Amino acid sequence: MPERKFTPFNFIALVAGLLFAVFPILWMVSTSFKLRSEWVTSPPTWISSAPTVDNYLTILAPHVLLERRGGTQQVGDENFGGSKDDAAGGAIADLLNRSAWPGIKGSIIISISATILSIIVGLMAAISISRYRFGGNFTPFFILAGRMFPPIAIAIPFVIMFGPKVFDITDTYFGLIVAYAAVTVPFSTWMLKSFVDDLPHEIEEAAMMDGYSRWKAHFIVTVPLIKGGIIATTLFIFILNWSEFLFALILTYTDVQTIPVTLSKYFSATEGTLYGVQAALAMVSIVPLVTVGFFIQKHLVRGLTLGAIKR
Amino acid sequence: MANIKLELVNVRKEFGELTAVNDVNIAIEESETMALLGPSGCGKSTILNMIVGLESPTSGDILIDGKSVLDVPPGERNIGLVFQDYAVFTHMTVRNNLAYGLKIRKMAQPEIDREINKVAEFLSITHQLDRKPDELGASELQRVAIGRTLVTSPQILLLDEPLSNLEAAMRNQMRRELRRIQADTGQTIIYVTHDQIEALSLAHRIAVMDFGSLQQYDTAHNVYQYPSNRFVGSFLGNPPMNFLKGKLGESAGRRVVTSGDSVIPLPAGNLGSDVAAGSDVVVGVRPESLSLASPDDPGSFSVPVIAVEPQGPETVVTATFGDSSLKVIVPTGTEAAEGGSIELVPKSDLVALFHAESGVRLLDSGDRV
Amino acid sequence: MVTNTSKGGVSTIGMGKPRRFDPNDKKYIPGLLITPVQILLCVMLIFPFILEFVISLTEWQPIYGDFWDAFTSVFTTKINQGINYNYLVTDEPRYLQALGRTVIMSVISLCLEFLIGLGLASLFLKKFWGKRIWFTALLTPMMIMPVVVGYTWFMLFQYNGPINQIFGWIAFSPVNLQWLNDGTLAFIAVIVTEVWHWTPLFFLIMLSGLNAVPENPIRAATVLGASNFKIFWTIILPNMRAVIIIAFVIRGMEVVKLFDEIYLLTRGGPGTATETISLYLYKLAFEDFRLAYAGSAAFIVLVITVVLINMMLKPIRYQLVEGR
Repeated sequence: MPERKFTPFNFIALVAGLLFAVFPILWMVSTSFKLRSEWVTSPPTWISSAPTVDNYLTILAPHVLLERRGGTQQVGDENFGGSKDDAAGGAIADLLNRSAWPGIKGSIIISISATILSIIVGLMAAISISRYRFGGNFTPFFILAGRMFPPIAIAIPFVIMFGPKVFDITDTYFGLIVAYAAVTVPFSTWMLKSFVDDLPHEIEEAAMMDGYSRWKAHFIVTVPLIKGGIIATTLFIFILNWSEFLFALILTYTDVQTIPVTLSKYFSATEGTLYGVQAALAMVSIVPLVTVGFFIQKHLVRGLTLGAIKR
Repeated sequence: MANIKLELVNVRKEFGELTAVNDVNIAIEESETMALLGPSGCGKSTILNMIVGLESPTSGDILIDGKSVLDVPPGERNIGLVFQDYAVFTHMTVRNNLAYGLKIRKMAQPEIDREINKVAEFLSITHQLDRKPDELGASELQRVAIGRTLVTSPQILLLDEPLSNLEAAMRNQMRRELRRIQADTGQTIIYVTHDQIEALSLAHRIAVMDFGSLQQYDTAHNVYQYPSNRFVGSFLGNPPMNFLKGKLGESAGRRVVTSGDSVIPLPAGNLGSDVAAGSDVVVGVRPESLSLASPDDPGSFSVPVIAVEPQGPETVVTATFGDSSLKVIVPTGTEAAEGGSIELVPKSDLVALFHAESGVRLLDSGDRV
Repeated sequence: MVTNTSKGGVSTIGMGKPRRFDPNDKKYIPGLLITPVQILLCVMLIFPFILEFVISLTEWQPIYGDFWDAFTSVFTTKINQGINYNYLVTDEPRYLQALGRTVIMSVISLCLEFLIGLGLASLFLKKFWGKRIWFTALLTPMMIMPVVVGYTWFMLFQYNGPINQIFGWIAFSPVNLQWLNDGTLAFIAVIVTEVWHWTPLFFLIMLSGLNAVPENPIRAATVLGASNFKIFWTIILPNMRAVIIIAFVIRGMEVVKLFDEIYLLTRGGPGTATETISLYLYKLAFEDFRLAYAGSAAFIVLVITVVLINMMLKPIRYQLVEGR
């Protein structure tokens, strides 16, 4: 029998694994509270000596900082602005531009809409494939093909398609929503398919014998029974959409932003990368992910392996 | 006296609060075949694990050939174990399954091949050596599992519920196979089972267990005919032993057991001589040990009949004795009718008397074989 | 014979009249259900695919002029259509190099993720306190957005960052590796980042696989004298074959497309040290603006990935469709 005993060596390995897994996240958390002068130091600052929430204020409530400064440029502010000579660094306009709300708003709208679209489309396809074996082996794998393309390869024609002469949906919510749905639909279809597979088809047959039409049997009987699976899939797709970067980067300019894109813009020519602010936004954006991930822990394997493995 | 191959000395196993095995002492002789029999939860599987080495006793000792093996890891005890579900390695061919133990012992390849061929022929699976387990049927898989252990020449062979996974027809065949293996190899074999028919048909001696304690360890014949307590009597035999509750008394110079209007005279001898008159006792007698009698036969008694069920050549008659019910097997065609009564006489040495509370067998009559 | 159905039209059997479309009819339902997904995929995948192919036949760049003109010119004039492909195959070593880097990076990452994930999963078979907490903690890296992962490790790998500092403590002398400015080190940094991000997935899958290995063959092997290692190698691993393949294929499909983290860590640099195929295409299309050229490169990549991935999926086709 493989040893069940837990040796000290095992313990060391486990602790090492834990430290490795958690350390970068802790670093991020710590950085989000660091003073500007502590962002880039040599040797690096592990924990701020005077933790501040100013980074968070910058992204979420810049007007608070503005008020604190009295609305004018300040000299040598510990947290923001550079010297008074540095117009770019301390400019009020610049401060307002760093607000993360456009990005947050964009992320929320796009992620939720794209998730809903993906789930609806995927659910119908899942029922079709699972209950009717539509398309035999070809259709499910055709749907999966959408996942095989490197996003960049499909982004190139997207740029053209979204562009002025074709559909003209660049820099719109609609455009991104549809793009996101298209790339997440393989996951939603396969994951939902595995949940529908788990439900014995006798239930629908019984419903139909009781007088329900097929449509009713599917949507009034089956769907509520896999509620848990639908929720798990929804959350999973939400995570995917929330995290998406490439399409958002390429297909939006000014009107629409998502959080990942906003993160990449926290870079100023004079101040360099705004580590602290980035860290703060990173924290804000991963909180929903980690929470959601925690709740669907059990289903993560099922989703990520397209339903092949059910824990 | 033959060599003692395996001995359990005061073996006890506790899992926290639960005592799974309670001071068991068994001495198994070389080349004998014995069965460890008992209902689920009686501790037989735990004993199996301890003999093999997958578990260690909380206290007590296990000796093989007189030497303690408690410190010897399972792989080095040279014991063969055949699981109930055979546990054949599904991703290997039959040949590699058989070779597994030998490769571990670093045997040379030509020798391995020789041994495999020998065992395969012995078990009639030569033609399947290069097949994969998913192509084989249940009894073939079992032979692979048996072969896998036999090939390593174990000193003791343990089989867990060997017949329970087989269909009825296969069971007879496997029973014959196992007896043949027994006879041809002179192996010491231990069967662990909950099926009393399996035990009775395969083993020389049976150790009956219940709730972690050894109830009786004797030849199959003795365990069947002369159970040492009520549990053993009830566990073996189908249809089961009759248990008739009553009070010990005396009538017409013989000791009797009475319940209400019914009376059973006890055979002459010492039966029940260590118990005072008037105490509660339970008479144990098997349905097949009762035969029809005429009223003037000595030792006969009469009981009212409440059911008659013909079952081909034999008929099962159900009667009452006080509050207990009594089943008898009589040849079909005998006069016995519901509502009437029949006259019965027990075979004299096959009546047992049990203490009403403890179930322990009271003094018995007759000789043991 | 006429039967009424509760929805849609009336279905007539054997009366010689043409059937009206009955959405309740078994024949139509799966088709109807699958339509939305087909539409979505056709518009968002097939159409771009074709578009890319057509574009790749031109030499169009946005500065040259109107896209439609270029597009239609493919069909009307006889320009040299294979020019891009020719050039790619014969003269552009960078393309093949990018492909090579992608393969090497992916293979190394996958193997590391597999080994570490398997090791961690084996640990979890043993008894120890607080399993649930450890488990959740070990899963966290997987749930962090790729951009955040990229930025975090970007910070960590700075020459004056904590990683160098930690190495300095271990080596008892200052360590100032230029992780992101040295070709080889940057490559390693990207691999470390990817392994950190996705080992939890392998961990989960391996754990599920280990738990599914039946007990009795393991005990049988123990009684036959097998050592722990031998049991692992001859019984446990073969039993996990399907699960291991699934893990490699599923993650393999994603790791070759890796973009976000690399973009944020190194932008593909220094030079082309970490330029995988995704980054190469990005640079071509969005920094050099040679869209048509990038289109042809992308098209080849599309074809290769679809073919390769289908090949990789073949062994587990059955498991995927029927469910394990």
